[in-house]
Amino acid sequence: MFRKFFYLTVLIALLLAGCGPASNPTEAPAPVSTEAPAVEVTEAPAVNESAITLVDGLGRDVVMDAPAQRIVSLAPSNTEILFALGAGSQVVGRDSFSDYPAEALSVTDIGATYEALNTELIVSLKPDLILLAEVNAAEQVKTLEDLGLTVYYLKNPTTLEEMYANLEIVAQLIGRQPEAAELIESLKARVAAVDEKIMPLSSRLSIFYEIDATDPAKPYTAGKGTFITLLIDRAGGYNIAADLDGYPQLSLEQVVAADPMFIILGDSAYGVTPESIATRPGWENLSAVKNNQIFPFDDNLVSRPGPRLVDGLEALAKLLRPGLFE
Amino acid sequence: MRRPYLSSFLFLLTALIFSLAVGSIFIPPQELWRALSGDSTNETFRTILWNIRLPRTVLIALVGAALSGSGAAYQGLFRNPLADPYLIGVASGAGLGAVLAMSIRWPYTTLGLLAVPLAAFIASLLTVYLVYLFANVGGTVPTTNLILAGVALSSFATSLTSFLMLRSTGELRRAITWLLGGVSLVGWDVTFALIPYLVIGLTVLVLNGYSLNLLQFGDDQALQMGLNVRRAKFIIITAASLVTAAAVSFAGIIGFVGLIVPHVVRIWWGVDYRRIIPLSIVSGAGALLLADILSRVVIAPLELPLGIVTALAGAPFFLWVLRRSKNQGYW
Repeated sequence: MFRKFFYLTVLIALLLAGCGPASNPTEAPAPVSTEAPAVEVTEAPAVNESAITLVDGLGRDVVMDAPAQRIVSLAPSNTEILFALGAGSQVVGRDSFSDYPAEALSVTDIGATYEALNTELIVSLKPDLILLAEVNAAEQVKTLEDLGLTVYYLKNPTTLEEMYANLEIVAQLIGRQPEAAELIESLKARVAAVDEKIMPLSSRLSIFYEIDATDPAKPYTAGKGTFITLLIDRAGGYNIAADLDGYPQLSLEQVVAADPMFIILGDSAYGVTPESIATRPGWENLSAVKNNQIFPFDDNLVSRPGPRLVDGLEALAKLLRPGLFE
Repeated sequence: MRRPYLSSFLFLLTALIFSLAVGSIFIPPQELWRALSGDSTNETFRTILWNIRLPRTVLIALVGAALSGSGAAYQGLFRNPLADPYLIGVASGAGLGAVLAMSIRWPYTTLGLLAVPLAAFIASLLTVYLVYLFANVGGTVPTTNLILAGVALSSFATSLTSFLMLRSTGELRRAITWLLGGVSLVGWDVTFALIPYLVIGLTVLVLNGYSLNLLQFGDDQALQMGLNVRRAKFIIITAASLVTAAAVSFAGIIGFVGLIVPHVVRIWWGVDYRRIIPLSIVSGAGALLLADILSRVVIAPLELPLGIVTALAGAPFFLWVLRRSKNQGYW
């Protein structure tokens, strides 16, 4: 028996030893060095003029030889940023949830990213940049990095200014700085146009923004520090959950006590309608229900931290003050 | 089923080959061989094979070996056909540790990336240690007490885990995936980190086959036959828990493998633990690889959590084996 076990150990050991050293050459495939043969050997390493060095959202240094031409985007917001910068043709892969703009749908779908990444498919696309966001786990950065891929983890913005900064970062990574400058300028102009109409108003409209009401007695909403609260505020509204952290659950009692003038259905994509709200027990007494001030809303406009946040701002402002935006 | 060692090794070998051949990117057999032997010109195939499929295959095989080996040892130790590697709290402890670690946003450093597996490992060993302490009555550790203390502490830890998951706002999906046996960190680092624990732990278990045989007669009889029962129990529990904890911390909680593989081995190849343990280790590695291949194929290009596949595919197979078994009352 022991002899047999001994064979087993030896076999396993051989199997493992066999894999060990052979993995080393692939660990550092440094595609960088093959392209730039050293012309002159100087003391300091020659600085490539077109080299790009940026610190990403995890504090990693990301170095690239040249702007990325084959990009895999692992978050819908990243995909939207890339397409908004006119780099749609440089995108070779995207995650399943990247459904905007429509052209993005024809890009290779590498699957959902909340579980194990389909690394085989990603590697086979031969990307020179993989753009991650905060929806992705840090383990995924590590996994991709270990495969010798260039990974940039884009930190979520918390203000519109930070969103503009993100556009600039991505533009640098993909060589689209002029497009970014143009895009940011037009976004700022659109925000200013909304500000111009909303700022002079003295009154604020109270709003309940529903994210998920699978349990209608305790719907989820967005609180402090979210773009939903920020944009509602900028659009002349007041989020009744603005003092709560993150994405809190409100009890129906709290909603009734606050009695919001408007109910905005961020969950309309999941089949929630103004009619279905009215049939919920306990909701019929809300002013918004009685006055029919319940509106379906495209949640992607306010939950994906990309340039469409400005679309979200405009949509909210129009919804709250239709008279001002003819 | 004659020649148990030969057949189980052939099974493992077949599973290894298929695990390398199957994936979301199709690699033709001749390319597969070329990429493996190192003279492939296709960089993509080489990366996929050496840096994605091979480390994953080895990791899954190791985890399968660990769970089945320790499952067999626990079944022998507790003389209970329902015993699995998680009986005395390894899984629930690991789950608590992992979910706790997931509630914190760790910096992007080696330690930060290893926070979840480390927390799971420590918490699971701590849980087993507590179970052992509670079950210790006047210098002896009665099997019943171990099981009961294990059940109680497991429920406690599981409830805490559920509470944490309900309170958490973000990483719920990740926690559920982990609890169902999702391998998130894959690569050679992880695989190599696992090896020392498994080699040491499994070797100890294999060497304790004879003690397990004696323990089948009951603690008193085993004592009369010259076995230091308390020490043997301690050693087996320590080794099995170490192995399971290491496997669970990297691969999540994968159920059922540790329960059925030892039973199939026992039905097919007899009740001698000097055989059951090594055979369970080899067959367990093959069985989990098979489950992993299925998990990659069923809803490709997405993957099912392994824990779901092991029971979905394993239970019908086991029922079939059980039904065909002519060995009545094999236990």
